[in-house]
Amino acid sequence: MSCRGSIGALALVTLMATIAGAQAAEMKYPNWKGEWNAINPRLGGQGVKFDPTKAFGPAQQAPLTPEYQKIHEESMADQAKGGQGNFLDHARCFPGGMPTMMSGPAQEYIVTPETTYISVGTDLRRIFTDGRPWPTDIEPTYQGYSIGKWIDEDGSGTYNVLEVETRGPFKGPRAYDATGLPLHFDNESTFKERFHLDKNDRNILHDEITVFDHALTRPWSVDKTFRRNPNPYPNWSRISCVEGTNYVVIGKDAYFLSGDELLMPTRKDQAPPDLRYFKQTSK
Amino acid sequence: MLHRSSIGLLAFAAALIATMSGARAADEAKYPNWKGRWEVVNAPGLGGQRVKFDPNKEFGPPQQAPLTPEYQKVYEASMADQAKGGLGNFAGHSQCLPGGMPTMMTTQPQEYVITPPTTYILLGGADHYRRIFTDGRDFPAGLEPTYQGYSIGRWIDQEGSGRYDVLEVETRGPFKGPRAYDATGLPLAFDNQSVFKERFYLDKKNPNILHDEITVFDNALTRPWSVDKTFRRSSNPRPDWPEVYCVEGNDQVVIGAENYIVNGEGLLMPAKRDQAPPDLRYFKQTSK
Repeated sequence: MSCRGSIGALALVTLMATIAGAQAAEMKYPNWKGEWNAINPRLGGQGVKFDPTKAFGPAQQAPLTPEYQKIHEESMADQAKGGQGNFLDHARCFPGGMPTMMSGPAQEYIVTPETTYISVGTDLRRIFTDGRPWPTDIEPTYQGYSIGKWIDEDGSGTYNVLEVETRGPFKGPRAYDATGLPLHFDNESTFKERFHLDKNDRNILHDEITVFDHALTRPWSVDKTFRRNPNPYPNWSRISCVEGTNYVVIGKDAYFLSGDELLMPTRKDQAPPDLRYFKQTSK
Repeated sequence: MLHRSSIGLLAFAAALIATMSGARAADEAKYPNWKGRWEVVNAPGLGGQRVKFDPNKEFGPPQQAPLTPEYQKVYEASMADQAKGGLGNFAGHSQCLPGGMPTMMTTQPQEYVITPPTTYILLGGADHYRRIFTDGRDFPAGLEPTYQGYSIGRWIDQEGSGRYDVLEVETRGPFKGPRAYDATGLPLAFDNQSVFKERFYLDKKNPNILHDEITVFDNALTRPWSVDKTFRRSSNPRPDWPEVYCVEGNDQVVIGAENYIVNGEGLLMPAKRDQAPPDLRYFKQTSK
């Protein structure tokens, strides 16, 4: 056997294998296609909540500081009287932001090498997976800025976990659910997530999410799960909040719009809006 | 000189590489590179608002939309109402309802995410994004009305280069409405039966210019109306994607058929001269 020829062949094979390896690495993303719907056990109450295994509101047993426990109680007291409490911005159709947006229905995950996009209703998250560092001078947003990293945890040759960190500054106030369960008003939350398919069921997607927030006594972790819709052509609903709302917010007060499109109070003995800038008197 | 086993190993490796490269190359090379952030290109020096159908003309009447006499009247009534402080045919915008098609294709920035079954157009503003299905499906029956319509596309290799270079798209309703081309309330027909046909492709001379040749077929028009919208790619490899929500900066309040303004003090103000305040019959207390 010619030694020189064999060495040359070996070198060439090595080179080609390296190229193949590099190319193969670019193809190793999991199949997260389709429509994903939040899994919520039937506990009563609303489906939008942080911990899907508990009812919304106080039953979430959020590890709030005493200060923010008070804020939550005040929010609920205001809502009991017809007000919006800490959830006023929802009546204005402001976005829920993180983490509430991850409770939204009908999610779609669009995986590309540089970015994973999550569409949630009419909202869209970008998770940058291109190796970028955290930028400085980030503008405040409701959803934060997300950087992710793909991991091949099983060593199977296919990425199976997407680890994500999301930082602010955030806009706010944000709440976990409709009772106004509050995140801190300093808007300095951080979120860490691990997205992965269920090992026993490839049509269940996990979002293990931990929130670090100054309204909490400790990090709060939950496992949100989503079931893949078997319909290969799902119906992507595009109804936005503003279409279906009958709230009108003027300043800090929320009113209803009646069926005959007139202003109505939302609570007992609520004063009407101040009309000092109108020349005519109202009825 | 190579030994037989070396030749065999080489041949196997070559075949393996060719298969893997071919599969990957077949996917990647099939689709054009539309990555990055795209900004609307409007003809310079025209003044007025950026959101308009024909980017080569000013917004409003200079668009010279081929409206039917009936819709020309609707349009004039809209502008007359706006001249008095009303919103005319653009009331939905003050409620932060989506602009829908075709106005959403004037929002920016834009990002095009191409996957084999679907091309996504990610947009700033209340419309957020479009899905263009390229998986060979037919238009389904029983569609729900939407502002953006239902889009089906087809990739074309027009030059025979082995790579797709044109995305042809048809968008049908039923649509929600009313929709308008621009802030003057230039109207689409209230029957919401518009159809849009588009051709997306990179400029032959400048791959950082993307064309959207768009034709609207609408019963408010005397004929189909075609324009060539262009978009310029940002050179920043990590562009900003601002989070834009109309509701955040909106000082308009719509109560029934009337729009009002909420001032900096959070108090209601008339939007037009001598406007009556809202009817407060359902309140026990009297207002100030």
